Amino acid sequence: MRWRVRAGAPADAPARAPSRGLRSILRAGELALFLAPFAGFWLLFRLGPVLYGVAISLYRWDPLGDVEFVGASNYLRLAADPRFWNALRNTLIFAALAIPGILALGLGLALLVFAYRHRPAVRWIEAAFFFPYLLTVSVVGLVWRWLLDPDFGAVLLALRSLGFRPPVFLNEPAWALPAIAFATAWWLAGYRMVIFRAALEDIPEEIFDAAKVDGATGWRLVRSVLLPLLKPAALFALVLTGISGFIVFGQVLIMTAGGPGRASEVLALYLYRFGFEYLEMGQAAAVGVVIFTLILLLTLLSFRWLGYGGAG
Amino acid sequence: MNVRAVARVGLVVATLLAVLWLAPVLWMFATAVKPTPHIFALPPVWIPSVVVGDHLSAVLIKWPFTRWVWNSVVVATCATVLSTVVSVPAAFAFSRLQWRGRDAVFLVFLSSMLIPLEVNVIPLYFLMNRLHLLNTYPGVFLPIVGMPVGVFLLRQFFLNIPQELDDAARVDGAGSWRILLSVILPLSGPALAALAIYMFVFSWNEFFWSMIALSSPRMFTLPIGLRALQGAYDIDYGVLMAGASLATVPAVLVFLLLQRHIIRGVTLTAFR
Amino acid sequence: MEYAVSRREFLRMAVGVALSASAGLGRPAWAQKRPVLLDFYTLFHSGDAAAMEMIVRKFNAEHRDVQINLLQGQWAEYYAQLFAAVGAGNAPHIGICHTSRVMDVYRALTPLEESRAGNLLDLARIRASDYTRSVWDAGVYQGKRYLVPLDSHMWGLWYNKDLFRQAGLDPERPPETREEFERACEAIRSRTGRMAFHPCEDALPRKIRRAWEILLWGQGGELLTPDGRRAAFNDERGLRALDYLVTLSRRGWHQPGTDGFKLFAAGQVGMLLAGNWYLPTAKGSGVNFGFHYVPKFFDRPVTWGDSHNLVIPRQRPERTSNEVLVEAIRTVKWINENSHLWGIHGGHIPAYLPAQRSRELLESDSWRLALRKFSEMANRGWVRYPVIHPKAPQIHAAIEPAVQEAYNLRVSPREALARAEAEVNRVLAS
Repeated sequence: MRWRVRAGAPADAPARAPSRGLRSILRAGELALFLAPFAGFWLLFRLGPVLYGVAISLYRWDPLGDVEFVGASNYLRLAADPRFWNALRNTLIFAALAIPGILALGLGLALLVFAYRHRPAVRWIEAAFFFPYLLTVSVVGLVWRWLLDPDFGAVLLALRSLGFRPPVFLNEPAWALPAIAFATAWWLAGYRMVIFRAALEDIPEEIFDAAKVDGATGWRLVRSVLLPLLKPAALFALVLTGISGFIVFGQVLIMTAGGPGRASEVLALYLYRFGFEYLEMGQAAAVGVVIFTLILLLTLLSFRWLGYGGAG
Repeated sequence: MNVRAVARVGLVVATLLAVLWLAPVLWMFATAVKPTPHIFALPPVWIPSVVVGDHLSAVLIKWPFTRWVWNSVVVATCATVLSTVVSVPAAFAFSRLQWRGRDAVFLVFLSSMLIPLEVNVIPLYFLMNRLHLLNTYPGVFLPIVGMPVGVFLLRQFFLNIPQELDDAARVDGAGSWRILLSVILPLSGPALAALAIYMFVFSWNEFFWSMIALSSPRMFTLPIGLRALQGAYDIDYGVLMAGASLATVPAVLVFLLLQRHIIRGVTLTAFR
Repeated sequence: MEYAVSRREFLRMAVGVALSASAGLGRPAWAQKRPVLLDFYTLFHSGDAAAMEMIVRKFNAEHRDVQINLLQGQWAEYYAQLFAAVGAGNAPHIGICHTSRVMDVYRALTPLEESRAGNLLDLARIRASDYTRSVWDAGVYQGKRYLVPLDSHMWGLWYNKDLFRQAGLDPERPPETREEFERACEAIRSRTGRMAFHPCEDALPRKIRRAWEILLWGQGGELLTPDGRRAAFNDERGLRALDYLVTLSRRGWHQPGTDGFKLFAAGQVGMLLAGNWYLPTAKGSGVNFGFHYVPKFFDRPVTWGDSHNLVIPRQRPERTSNEVLVEAIRTVKWINENSHLWGIHGGHIPAYLPAQRSRELLESDSWRLALRKFSEMANRGWVRYPVIHPKAPQIHAAIEPAVQEAYNLRVSPREALARAEAEVNRVLAS
């Protein structure tokens, strides 16, 4: 059995050519063999659950008890729940702080590392910036919670000893989300740095030379030459980082558990609490559907606004 | 101003920034070995003068900590291996085989990258409950295997391998599987390594779904175990930082050993 | 079948002989009875956890056929994980349930008198007359018993005797009335410069709510209407209670958001409202502390309290045989019989009367330092349980953020209560 090969290759003419129909069936069969293992997992554990989730969200569903079809009522309850809207708002605020934070820090660090690419020491500097990415989310949350502890946190004590009067970050409604976003940026910026730096290295030296001839140095070089060239990398990074912003959970749970008040209760935390603390599985499934829809919309919009970034 | 001097100052600033960047991690290690009165001292004791192992031994003795490490290793390894095994042929079909509707089907798979695991936790909980896979290793890693990242990444890489190699192999009578195994895969080391690193780090860090799927403490992975530590010692930062430090040691070791590979691997997962 | 020994049996015997030969002197490997392993997961942490660990260690040392596998912690997600585990069919054999949670947690629990292994209470000789009456009576829901009481616990007033002395107060006469309390606060503030008072342990939202509830109940206020259908706290009593919580900070006696546990142990706080579980920490801190009743802030003395109960989460027969179920309830009884240790080391009042009246407990340091006064508060009927309602977690979740924001001086008490009331009513209506 052979695959059609591209033009220029010798035509394949097997001695006993099976009939055309049989051949295409065999080909389809082989293709299925290539695709089936992955497609199976994908259908069962990725696409399937999305549809299943929509179905669950139409029921009132107690995992230890009864099931009752309730139509859109779970969605209506969400719409009527200020706690839901608060969680949505917090999620958007977090995303608006963390995503640009991660990308800007990542880009800044990448430029820094790139500028000294010829120095041997830069390898260690880069390693230091990258390292937090390898920490697990619980470690990140615990460490920053400890650093920002209202009574004995090193950050607050250090700021105080320098004569500042810092807010008690994790216990101030206005500061809790920014603090979590900052910790998240510290955690993930190194990953973006490596990717941006790779993109920078792909830029041919001639472009730098030409820019130098034009007198573009420092910030002007960055803004007028490098950033436009980085745009495709940045766009896709934006989308993927953006998604991770919409499902933030671990850091929030560990650093503030949604507090103070509900100042940092995000959608994933809302989902967890309704699903597993109040056992409102249907309503929690509805939250999942809402998050998914939001991600879909925002992705389409960002491709629309920023232009398709060559994702495939 | 002297350009060289500026550069030197810049390098010093970069070095200081790098040290500051690691300060939280150093503070974590320091707290883990400080006696409790030094941890809660005002003014703070910045550098421990006495080193104690109480917190570390509390974590290791009172908690199935080594078991958590083991669970994490099992979950991450299974997710990585299985996802590579199923992604390779699929990526091959999407890059080296010609068939009608190929790019459309690929786009469907690709767009499912937009579905994070987290939005699916409720249906996955019901599904795994029916399959009797809650609180098991497969219950945690199977949903990760369904992620399309591997297919996407490998397809990108396969597309860059010259088609002439396939053609030559076909002329020699090789079938598709042989081409995959003996032509494409030997050339794909870097991509496979990148995928493996990505999947391993992802599974090692997975939190939300694991927290729901795993209900018995002996099955916890490290992130979930650390959260349990927090629940148990919410005011005892010595023990918490000891747990966090112990969880970080493997990352430090692996990173020191494989730094170049990891960073190069990450570069390849850039989805550019 | 004609042959006396089937092929399979023969093989098994052959393997058995080989194994026992290789095992040498000992009994053949398969003949050694492996002990029944009971999973016991609790939500205890810090001092509590250490005390329960001690009890379990004693159990494991005294038993060969049954061993407890103890895991503790995770206050916040304990019930969520219990539900998940019951749903997944791998719930621990023994767990803990607060009395105040029986109305929503019961779904995950084995009804003890009508389990598939029979009446477990009878099988383990667990009798009502052995337990503090009120706590025993509260362990029933819809006519079925789910809970076996372990303890009563409550908040009281911990105070720093050295700071009292520095402030010119009599360290042996802690405040009992509001006037005495306020005088003490002012003296500590002005003469020592330390935080005079911390009303709510570590200032977690649920702790702030408890402090407010103490002030509310002290005036005869209630969280819900008697029928449990509407919020009842947004009246002048609820407002006065929240106002008072805010006043503490406004007068400079308290700094909101700080961790009273840590600060008291560091000698930085004059008086702390905290539960009896603080006893091990207080003892270990080196602070020269005293303990007393919660002061009478308003019309009547009252404190917040609850009970821990031992429970058997629902088990699937394929995982847990009837025999294991019976072992579990016997273990529950054993823990009760040794719960004087829970009092001595955990600082709780055992609900099991023989333990409560045991010499070991009555002659212990813990009794002298704090438990005597805790049990006096209990005997005088000052202890109030949190609201018992099927939607209790959601009701509390509706109240806590608003109360916390008022406590943090972010919104006015009036606004906070209005918000909390609206949300509680919405929760109750849906």
